[in-house]
Amino acid sequence: MRHLVGKRAFIVALFGALLLAPSVTNQYQTFVANLILLYIILSLGLNLLIGFAGQLALSNAAMYGIGAYGTGLMMAHFGFPYWAAAPCGALLAMGLGTLLALPALRLSGIYLALATLAFAQFTYWVMTHWTDVTFGAGGFVPPRIDFSPLPVNQEQGIYYLSWILALLLYVVARRAMESPVGRAFVAIRDGEVAAQSLGIDLLRYKSLAFAMSGFYAGVAGALYCGLLGFVGPESFDLLQMILHKGAVVLGGMGSVVGSVIGGTLLTVLVEITKEAKFSIEIAFGGLLVVFVLFQPSGLIVFIRKWLPGWDERLHYVPPGTAPPVQAARTAAAEGDD
Amino acid sequence: MEYFSYLMATGISTGALYALVALGIVVIYKSTQVVNFAHGEMFMLGGYLGYTFHVMLGWPYLLSFLLAVGAGFVLGLAVDRVAFRPLMQRQTMVSVLLAMIGLSFVLKGVARWLWGGKGDYLSFPPLVSPTPISFGGIMVMSQQLVVLGAACLVMAAFAVFFKFTRAGRFMQATADNPKAAKLVGLRTDRVYMYTFAVGSAVAAAAAVLMAPLTLLYPDIGFALFIKAFAAAVLGGLTSIPGAVVGGFLIGIIEQLAAGYIHSSLQEVAAFVVIMLVLTFIPTGLFGQRRLRKV
Amino acid sequence: MKSTRIIASLATAGVIGFALAAGPVRAQDAQTQGISSNEIRIGAYGPFAGPVYMYGKLAMNGVEAVFDKVNEAGGVHGRKLVLVREDDNCKPEGAIGAVKKLAYDAKVFAIIGGACSNSTLASVPELEKSGIPMVVNSAVADAISDPVRKNIYTTMITSSVESRAQVDYALAKGAKKIAVVRMTDAWAMARWNPLEAYLKAKGITLVEDLELGVDANDATPQALKLKASGADAVILVLYPKPAAVLIRDSLKIGGNPLWVGQTAINDFTAFNKQVGVPGALARFATITSTAYQPTDPEMKDWAERLKKLFPNDELSTFNMNGIGSAQVLVEGLERAGKDLTRDKFLAAMGTIKNFNVDAYAGPITCDSPKSHQCNQAPGWLVLEDGKVVREK
Repeated sequence: MRHLVGKRAFIVALFGALLLAPSVTNQYQTFVANLILLYIILSLGLNLLIGFAGQLALSNAAMYGIGAYGTGLMMAHFGFPYWAAAPCGALLAMGLGTLLALPALRLSGIYLALATLAFAQFTYWVMTHWTDVTFGAGGFVPPRIDFSPLPVNQEQGIYYLSWILALLLYVVARRAMESPVGRAFVAIRDGEVAAQSLGIDLLRYKSLAFAMSGFYAGVAGALYCGLLGFVGPESFDLLQMILHKGAVVLGGMGSVVGSVIGGTLLTVLVEITKEAKFSIEIAFGGLLVVFVLFQPSGLIVFIRKWLPGWDERLHYVPPGTAPPVQAARTAAAEGDD
Repeated sequence: MEYFSYLMATGISTGALYALVALGIVVIYKSTQVVNFAHGEMFMLGGYLGYTFHVMLGWPYLLSFLLAVGAGFVLGLAVDRVAFRPLMQRQTMVSVLLAMIGLSFVLKGVARWLWGGKGDYLSFPPLVSPTPISFGGIMVMSQQLVVLGAACLVMAAFAVFFKFTRAGRFMQATADNPKAAKLVGLRTDRVYMYTFAVGSAVAAAAAVLMAPLTLLYPDIGFALFIKAFAAAVLGGLTSIPGAVVGGFLIGIIEQLAAGYIHSSLQEVAAFVVIMLVLTFIPTGLFGQRRLRKV
Repeated sequence: MKSTRIIASLATAGVIGFALAAGPVRAQDAQTQGISSNEIRIGAYGPFAGPVYMYGKLAMNGVEAVFDKVNEAGGVHGRKLVLVREDDNCKPEGAIGAVKKLAYDAKVFAIIGGACSNSTLASVPELEKSGIPMVVNSAVADAISDPVRKNIYTTMITSSVESRAQVDYALAKGAKKIAVVRMTDAWAMARWNPLEAYLKAKGITLVEDLELGVDANDATPQALKLKASGADAVILVLYPKPAAVLIRDSLKIGGNPLWVGQTAINDFTAFNKQVGVPGALARFATITSTAYQPTDPEMKDWAERLKKLFPNDELSTFNMNGIGSAQVLVEGLERAGKDLTRDKFLAAMGTIKNFNVDAYAGPITCDSPKSHQCNQAPGWLVLEDGKVVREK
């Protein structure tokens, strides 16, 4: 039974369906399926940072943008082919993301959130104003991507590449979180001082968390550049950030397979919202509020209750047992009794 | 010199607004240890409600102002009840912040839906005649003086409230030490509720004051929130006078940067301030360095 | 063993899927999609909400008003016109997604719309790839229709035409010291680039070149700099809100040059209210793409029809952009004949010359294949004795 409805079966079924998608759906639906793959990657990366390491960073959309811009600009300015430009974009995002670990050492909670938000807004400003390099507010069209000698055009190539990367990054995330690295992350999330007293080097692991989530977002950005065939700053604004957060909260913070569920569902929900011509802001803002209020551990908790085979090594502690906020575990600096 | 004085004058009047909004943020933070991400939207809704009363329904300005402030108060109560209190009881800091972010988007979407059909930017008729008056050789718009005066009044009233009234002292006590306050018999959840309500009312006041100077649009909430937060952080998130000083400073810094360095810096000055302050002096100018106990 | 089995099954699925996808193109006659015996489906995309929703939603409302009138008279060659709307959120990925959805999912015959320059421009490669006919009615960036693309026409005055007209107007009014205040987003850049080039070609140096954010609540630094420079004409590459703030702040410090606007600021009454200082617009002139103001008697029929369809709307210049462009679209459909295909429609559009529509200031001429920019006739609006009139 476990094998039929368990985590593994779900992943196989989902990725299998996504693999077959381009052949059975029209071009628009394929586009949406590709977005699903991108949001899976984004959600995996963000969950590592927020759900596992407990660092509330609001800079993920900026990292996404840096990945896309890095890739596109390498192609546009220096004529790099895609297979060289994409890693550049991803690594740039990773590098800049890691820099954010430095303030993260001194700040936490709301201070960190707003410092990273300020960074994200600043990145947006740079994208818009550094016209010589970034082509400014109008964005730019990077050169067409040539996948030769493979017999695929740009759309197909990006799709299958996204598929491969999504699957790969899922496996990496899962393995990482089941390793000592994952345990270190969770220790930091649940009590920084206690973690330090256990010998966990905060700088090392926080940097790793930021680096990993930056890398994931950067990879997604590189793929996005290829998917849209266009890079512009407006794609990487606050709304994008809300969508990323929504995906993580929806699927389940601190659950790798939850990120996959969250990323998939989020894209589908966005499509449904657009179809219903309903306000995306209200829909996803509301989604965040409702889920945080009632089930911040995400859908994964429901799934775990009813279906076998969904356990993960590092379970997220259900909210009912969390101490009240006044004695919050990740507080900047506060007095206590 | 004239150039500098103009920049300073504008900086002071916009700074007064940032100070008002920052005040709300700090008050809520002091009590609840949470930064209300949706504070900007409460400001925005206060402004829109003021617009509804004054422009759409045609009621006099002062009445609309008071009604908007009252409505802001009620809105704060509602937000506390519906969103904040359940969150505080159950969730971690990360979740609360995420939910407040979500709430800010919901409020923004609702405002767009309710008032968006009227056009992008709503204009609000000024309280007094719009012709500029001379103030020591500098032309200022009378509305700016009104804003400055009213903002100072509100801040003064607030200071009095906090220091001298019972309710204000309850809030202070709860902010300083929630557990002890509970032990002494203060209804801390009530205090949180009123803190939220007061913070929201102050934001609404700021909005109605500012509305004639600028134009109302749904995204104004976030834009102002970032600046007010920069002000609060600069002053120190735990310090009410710090918020006021921070507000004026941010207003002035913005104007001077735009005037002397490059006009594009007006948008980004606040972000840079946030990043610098949080990196080098996280507790701000007047904030206290609290001890972390484990 | 488990992993190898999974990998094997995934690989098989992959090969099969790939073979299917790379296989023969499915029989899909793109030339006549969206046409049925009694209907022609036309798509539209633009923002439904947000600061520039007027260019999207309101323009689409105008288009539907025209469709309503045409359908009342029996449609085009017996086929009724149906509008399918998509929201692009004024964002590039929104526009690209909208084009894909309209072309491949909703399968419309042609698209009319494109509000935000940035997003429409981003959607051009997708438009070209799909081959779907496109009539742009609100976006002004030149690059959308220049170089000429077989399937893209525009009925909106383009940025380069407007920018040149702004400079010429300032010069015609005797300005010696010209300054520019502009936003930095894509829309503004699309105007600034041809403006800069034109100034250079004319050998004019600006006394000030300033930026102002679209969200700015205050423009004192800019106003001070303008006054200090002694500019006697200021070209505004701004949306109404920052322009209103700039004019207001300038008046505050006693600066009052000639303000030269463009089609983004063409609702005088609303703009006047936004500036909020009486007499502020005495020296303000702006370009209009439309022939009339919404309250003119010539527009009465359209105002009524719009009110009937959309009770919350008041006729505005944005609706009129929709009306004008839809009338051109319908003319193209009529000329293409009953045996409608994409190619025929595109060819028919190219034959439109000196065509007068109710809303636009000048005649529409699509000079295919030389130019697909059909509207080259800006009009100027000024205040005369408190009334908004077109300057002769």
